[in-house]
Amino acid sequence: MTDMLVTSTIARLCDPVDISGHRNNTAISAATQTGAGAFNVWGNSFAAEYLPAGESLVHVAGVPFRFPPVCDGPDNVRCAGQFVTVPAGRYDWLHVLAAAERRCEDTVELNFGDGSVDAEPLRVSDFWAAPAWFGEIKAFESPVMHYPHHVQRGVPAVMWAQRVPVTRRAGLAGLRLPRNVAVHVFAVTLQRAEAGHDR
Amino acid sequence: MTGDVLARTYMITGPEPELWYRDLISCLQATFGSVLARAGADPLAVLGAGWRFLHLPGDVRSEEFYYPCPAGESGGVDLGAALAPHHGLHSRWWQPADEDDLWREVRATLAEDRVVIAAVDNFHLPFRPAYGDVHAAHLVVLYGLDEVRGLVYVSDAMPPAFRGTVPIEAFLRSWGSANPTDVQDAFFSDSRIGRRCLDVRLDAPPPPLTPEVLGGFLRTDVDAFATVTAARTGLAGFDAFAAELTDRCRAGDATALRELYPFGWGMQAQASLHGELLRRCGREWGDPALAGAGRAVEAVAHAWTGLRITGAHGLGDPRAVSADITHHATVLRGRYASAVDAVGAAAARL
Repeated sequence: MTDMLVTSTIARLCDPVDISGHRNNTAISAATQTGAGAFNVWGNSFAAEYLPAGESLVHVAGVPFRFPPVCDGPDNVRCAGQFVTVPAGRYDWLHVLAAAERRCEDTVELNFGDGSVDAEPLRVSDFWAAPAWFGEIKAFESPVMHYPHHVQRGVPAVMWAQRVPVTRRAGLAGLRLPRNVAVHVFAVTLQRAEAGHDR
Repeated sequence: MTGDVLARTYMITGPEPELWYRDLISCLQATFGSVLARAGADPLAVLGAGWRFLHLPGDVRSEEFYYPCPAGESGGVDLGAALAPHHGLHSRWWQPADEDDLWREVRATLAEDRVVIAAVDNFHLPFRPAYGDVHAAHLVVLYGLDEVRGLVYVSDAMPPAFRGTVPIEAFLRSWGSANPTDVQDAFFSDSRIGRRCLDVRLDAPPPPLTPEVLGGFLRTDVDAFATVTAARTGLAGFDAFAAELTDRCRAGDATALRELYPFGWGMQAQASLHGELLRRCGREWGDPALAGAGRAVEAVAHAWTGLRITGAHGLGDPRAVSADITHHATVLRGRYASAVDAVGAAAARL
């Protein structure tokens, strides 16, 4: 019961962010068309049949995310310094569904309405049969890996739920994603500061 | 079972080889780790004890197991000494001496109750994801041979992790493959396998890793990072490597990026193991500065990801990614400097 209350409380504070205009990579493919995905340079991709439905609202550890389209065009943002405008407001956490081409840590720049900018670490573990090196939550996993010409058993593809702190008590205006093509972001959700906790 | 049958069946005694793996290492560290574990040594304590930078221009080969290793006076290379400079780990490459009896050396090694590390082409191995699809130079551990049933016992810790038998004919195709150029894998194809094998020996069981022993290793390596030599070693060597890499990208030289991926794998793997070992020792010895230094070294490994993956995706147009390559080389240089500083400070207290 306590877990449900906490989950409900977190969800109430969270707003999924629209990143649809920035999606530039297809990382999820159907078993009948594995060549349609190319998360990495070898053309590997997640198996759609093991992931949530496209554009569904999913919850990971109580945090709601808007899952990207599945097998219907680009499904993630391969990071290259894109700027994502967010609804103005005070937030405590930036939550992401992400995966990396090998274990990776970089920075996301938080742009505030008052002109200040804070660089905060974004740490994402490898999507390819790897542990959660940075303590992320395993959000979704396909137990098989898609190769361009076949479905490979025994090599899982993992999508992680990671979070970034918003330490500045100021209104957030936008995010500049890492200038790092190894990092892929599938969904972004902002968790608002609780009333009375943002002074 | 006749004596002749027995004589054609070889298997190591004791347990099957350990599948030793970390997500940033290659088959090189994985196979050496398996050999070390079989010798009763802690693979992380041996393979993670040293941390250096070395780039040998013109030496990089398109193989998963490439690691910079200068030739000795005899012209041979000792990958074991390069991977574990603070331990008596040694290796030498060999190839079958008799074309009419390719298994002679393998039989002799297994008869000594030692495993063999063999180079293979993934294209021909049924348990590899690249089977029948992509050519790539890889390493596996051989731990048994059954010439009666026509089977080789192979251990491979790299996902999807395999330990079992492979038909001799399939293994021979893989072991003797030309590993031709493959557009699906620009980084690990186009390197003849040539039935190469590695004989790996650990001179003696490693002594217990104490703060004093590790402190000595760290001071030696920090000195090496700070010392300018004729070779591309240390921080100065990294600067020379990075400057040449960015220049070649600006000039549109795709070979620079083709070499970056296998070369960077070795440096990335070494940093990840060293960082993990220092963190582990820091926790066990109640030394948070040492643990923090380990984390700083791991940050070096993680920064290699940005450089290597940017290069991999930029292979088709090096000029277009030259600014990003410069950016990631600059980030990586900063991580090296921070980590060398942190390790030096931690070492001074050990």
